[in-house]
Order: sequence, then C-alpha cells, then structure tokens
Amino acid sequence: MNLRAKYITKHELIGLECEIVAATDPTLVGLRGVVVDETRNMLTLEIEGKRKKVAKAIATFRFRVGNRLVEVEGKTLVARPEDRIKR
Amino acid sequence: MRKRNLKLERRIARERIEILMQLAREVFRNDPALAKRYVELARKIAMRYNVRFPRKWKRFFCKACGSFLVPGVNMRVRCTKQRVVITCLECGHVKRIPYIREKKAMKNEAKLKGEEKV
Repeated sequence: MNLRAKYITKHELIGLECEIVAATDPTLVGLRGVVVDETRNMLTLEIEGKRKKVAKAIATFRFRVGNRLVEVEGKTLVARPEDRIKR
Repeated sequence: MRKRNLKLERRIARERIEILMQLAREVFRNDPALAKRYVELARKIAMRYNVRFPRKWKRFFCKACGSFLVPGVNMRVRCTKQRVVITCLECGHVKRIPYIREKKAMKNEAKLKGEEKV
C-alpha cells in the first residue's frame, strides 16, 4: 500500500485507523477511531462503538496505512471524497 | 491549471472502488445502510473518472436502488438454461445475465478437442 501512504490526500480514508493529534477544540485531541464515512467537510469516526463527526478543517489527523503512520492537516482534505482524487 | 495525471487518477480510482466494495461486504452484516453508502461512493468514483467496476464486484449491487447485494439475504440468484437471473429483494429489480463467457469457453474446448481427433 505504498501508493496509499504517498497519496493519502487522494486516496480512500474510509476504513483507516485515525487519531486526532491536534485540533482547535481540545476535547477532540487524542481521540482514536476508524473512519466510516466522509463528506466534503467532515469525517465520521467510529470511536469505541460510537460514531463521531469531526470537521476536517479544524484538526490534524494521523492515519495508519499498512504499517506506516501518516500525519495530515485536515485542511488539505477538505473536498468531497470523489473530488479528492483530482486535487 | 495544473496538468492532470489521468493515469494516476484512474489507478487510484480503481483501487478506491476495490477498497470500498471490500469494506461494503465487511460492514454489511452490521450496517447494510453503510454498505449501501459505500456502493454509492464507489459508483460515483467510477463515473467521475470513467473507470469500469472490477468484474468480481459487478453483480453485487443493484443498479436500480444502489443496495449492496448478498445472496440469500437481499438477493435471489437463480440459474436457468439460458441465463442467470438476479433479483434484488430490496426494490424488486431483476437482472438477467446470459452465459456469454461460459459458452465461448465451451466452444473453444470443443474446437480444441475436434482438432486433436483429426
């Protein structure tokens, strides 16, 4: 999955383990879950059985891709999932 | 406008469709609505980047209602002499698939056998 790590901004986020490493909202920092859905501005994470929607623009995410961890600023992910492949 | 790398986009599109359909199958037991959402996303991506669905996933969603189909649960599969009939139990849409590849394979086999005898 080397392609996926390098092109994380274009690739599928759904199904990846995700941790919020920084956010304007301190209650979000440190949350860890799996991405289950995505819209233009939000990621839906499933955290300990509960679904939580997080705005992309306000946070920095760390995704686990294969055995690598990739940190991404949420701002670069703002786009509809089908549009992200293009940008 | 930056030059778009079509090859890369298509490759990623194909991978994402595969990933999404695989996920759809996994989540279906717990959340069929989510599986339907993944099918919807996969189809959008396929349409946007003009990429065909992988053959192994082609028959597992309903083109009419977009549900992810699982034989026995929301899908009825019947084999007649001429074709395979797939019925979506969610919306009632029926898909009929004639045996094209299988017939070709049979033809080729017969041809090979014929040549051997001669």
